[in-house]
Amino acid sequence: MKRLFAKLYAATLARPVAKLKAILKAGWRSFVVGIVEPLRAWRIRTIRPVASKIAGAIGLKAVGRFLRKIPQKWKNMFYGYLFVLPWLFGLGLIGVPLLAKSIRMALSDKYYFITGVGWKITGDWSDFTQFKRIFGDEPWHLEQIVATLKDISLVVPLVVIFALILGLMLNQKLKGRAIFRTIFFIPVILLSGNMLSNFSNSGLLTVPAIANGTISRLLSDYFPAFFATIVVTAFEKIVLILWLSGVQILIFLAGLQKMDQSIYEAAEIDGASMWETFWKITLPALIPLMYINIIYTTVIYANLSNNAIVSIINVNSSEQGSLSGTLTDEVNYGRAYSAALSWVLFAIELAVIGAYSGIIKLASRRYD
Amino acid sequence: MKTNRMATWKRRLVGRKGNDGLIFKIVLYVLLTGISFIFLYPLLSMLSMSIMSLEDLIDATIAWIPRNLTLSNYATAFNYMHFQEALKASLQVSVYPTIATVVSSALIGYGFAHFKFIGRKLLMGLMVATFLIPTVLTYIPTTVLYRDLSVFGIPLGLSESIRAFTIPAMLGNGIRQTIFILIFYQFFRIIPSDLYEAAAVDGSGVVRTFVTIAVPMAAPAFLICGLYSFVWYWNETTLARAYFGNTYTTLPMALEAYINTYRSLYAQGQVSLDTVSSTYNLGVQYAMTLITIAPLLGVYLFLQKWFVEGVDRSGIAGN
Repeated sequence: MKRLFAKLYAATLARPVAKLKAILKAGWRSFVVGIVEPLRAWRIRTIRPVASKIAGAIGLKAVGRFLRKIPQKWKNMFYGYLFVLPWLFGLGLIGVPLLAKSIRMALSDKYYFITGVGWKITGDWSDFTQFKRIFGDEPWHLEQIVATLKDISLVVPLVVIFALILGLMLNQKLKGRAIFRTIFFIPVILLSGNMLSNFSNSGLLTVPAIANGTISRLLSDYFPAFFATIVVTAFEKIVLILWLSGVQILIFLAGLQKMDQSIYEAAEIDGASMWETFWKITLPALIPLMYINIIYTTVIYANLSNNAIVSIINVNSSEQGSLSGTLTDEVNYGRAYSAALSWVLFAIELAVIGAYSGIIKLASRRYD
Repeated sequence: MKTNRMATWKRRLVGRKGNDGLIFKIVLYVLLTGISFIFLYPLLSMLSMSIMSLEDLIDATIAWIPRNLTLSNYATAFNYMHFQEALKASLQVSVYPTIATVVSSALIGYGFAHFKFIGRKLLMGLMVATFLIPTVLTYIPTTVLYRDLSVFGIPLGLSESIRAFTIPAMLGNGIRQTIFILIFYQFFRIIPSDLYEAAAVDGSGVVRTFVTIAVPMAAPAFLICGLYSFVWYWNETTLARAYFGNTYTTLPMALEAYINTYRSLYAQGQVSLDTVSSTYNLGVQYAMTLITIAPLLGVYLFLQKWFVEGVDRSGIAGN
C-alpha cells in the first residue's frame, strides 16, 4: 500500500513539488542576492556620497548628524510603526468605523433599511434600551446567555487540548503519516464558508451509529440509562470537538516543525524520558501558539450557528440572518436587540479568552 | 534468564523512551484511524452516492456500494457548474487575496513582534477586539464599507469585485486575518534573539534582517497562513455574493445556487424521491461538492510534503 502511494506520488506529484520548491527557494535567494543586496550596495556606494555632497552643499549636514544621533530605541519605534502601517490604515478605514457602527447599532431603538435612503438608526444611545431589555425583560434569553457561557468555556479548553494531543500524534514517526495529515485537513475545508450547511442537513458530520441511536440502545441495554446518556452526549461532544480542532492541529504542527531537533537529541543523551521532554521542551515552546488557538477556537465556536445566542440573533433578524432586512422585517425583537445581544456574546468571548489565557500565563510562569 | 526475557519483552512493549514501544504504536494507530474515519465519513458517503445511478439512489437496500457504477452525475455536475469558468473565477477570487493576506500579515506580525513602540499592546488589543466582534453583527456595515473601499481604492489591475476582497486583506482586515497576524507574531517572536543581534553586528539593516533572517525562519507560518487563507477565500460565499453579484460565479457559489434551486424545487414538490429528476438529486449535489473541494485537497496534498520533510533550515548556523 505504502509502496503504491510512493509510486503514485513519484509518478504524479513528486516532480512538480520538487520543481515548485526549487523555484521558490531559488526565487527567494535570487530576490535576496539579485535585488536586496545590490540595492544595498548601490545605496552605500552611489547614493550615500552623492547625498552627503548634496547635503553638504545645501547645509543639511547638521540634519544628518542629528539623524545619526537619534537613539536606536526611537529608530526602532519608527520602523515598528512603518511595518504596522498597513494595519493602521486598515484600523482607521475599516476597524474603527465598524466598531463605532456596531456600538451605535446596539445602543439604538431601531435599526432598519429604507429603499433609496439606506440604513436608518433611531433612538438615543444613552438610553441603553436594548441592554435593559436583555437583562431586565427577558429571563429566558438570560438563561440562554448563561448556557452559552458555560458551553463555550467547556468546549474551548477541550478543543485546544485535543488539538495539542493530535498535533503531537501527527508529529510522531509513523507509517502513512502523509495520508493521516491529509485526512486531518478535511475539517479545515468542510468547516469553512457555508460548506457546513451543505452537510448538516444530511447528518453527514455525525457518526451514523450515534445519529440513529445504535450506540445509546446498546449501552442502555447493559447499563443504567443515565450512564448511557452521559456516554452518548460525551461522545457526541467529542465528535464535534474533533471537527472543530482541524485548524488548531495544523497550527500546533507548524509550531512543532519549527522545533530544533538537536534539543531533543541532547535531552535524549541526558536520559530524559518522553514525559520529561514533553513537559520541559515541547510544551513551553507551544505555549505561544496556545494563546492563538484559544482565541481562534473561542471566536469560531461562539459564531457557530448551533450556539444559543447566535440562533436567537438569527431568528430575530430576517431570513438572510445577519441582521439584514427592512423595517417590516423587524420580527419579534428586531435587529437593534440582536446587535446588543451580539455585544453580550462579545463580552462572553472576551471573558473566556481572558480566563484561559490567564490560566496558561500563570501555569507557564515556572518556565521563565 | 527469565528476568532477562521479561526485560526484552518490556522493552519491546513499552519502548526505551516511551514513544517507541509496541503498545504506544498500537494506541496511536487505533486512535488516528478512528478519528480519520470520523473525518472521512462524509467524503466517503458523498463519493459513494455520487457514483450511484438514480435507481440505486432511491433503492433503500443499497447503502454504500452501488449496483451499477455511473459517472453521469459528474458529467451533469460539470455541465451545470460551467466548470472551467467557475474554476477560473475561484482561482482569481482566492489567489490575489491570499497573496495580499500573507504578505501584509507577515509585515504586520513582524512589526508587532520585533519592534517595541508606544501603544503596541493597545494596538494588539484593538486588533483582537475587532476579531471578537460577532460576524452577524458586522455583516451589513462590512459589505457597505468594503464596496466603498473597492470603489475608491487603487486599481491595481484588478476588477472592482476582486479589489473588495484584496484591499482589506492588504490592510490586515481580510477574512480572519487577525489569526494570521498573531501566528506570524508568535513565529517571529520565538526566533532566537542572538540571530538578530548577530545580524545587527554585521551591519544588517531592518529590511535585510527581515528578508534574510526572519522570513526563512518563519517558513511554517507562511505555509499555514497561505493554506488557510486560500481555503477560506475559496469557500467564502456569503461575502462573495454580496461583492460580486453576478460578475463572478465561483465553484462554491455555483454549488450553493444548485442547492438553493434544488431545495426550492423540493419544497414545491416538483422534485422528490418519487418523481426523480436527473438534474436535481443528491448524487449530483454530492458530485458537485466533491468537485468543489477537490482542488483544495489537491493543493494540500501538494504542500503537505513540506510538513513531512520539516522546514529547510539551510543557511542558519548555530542555535
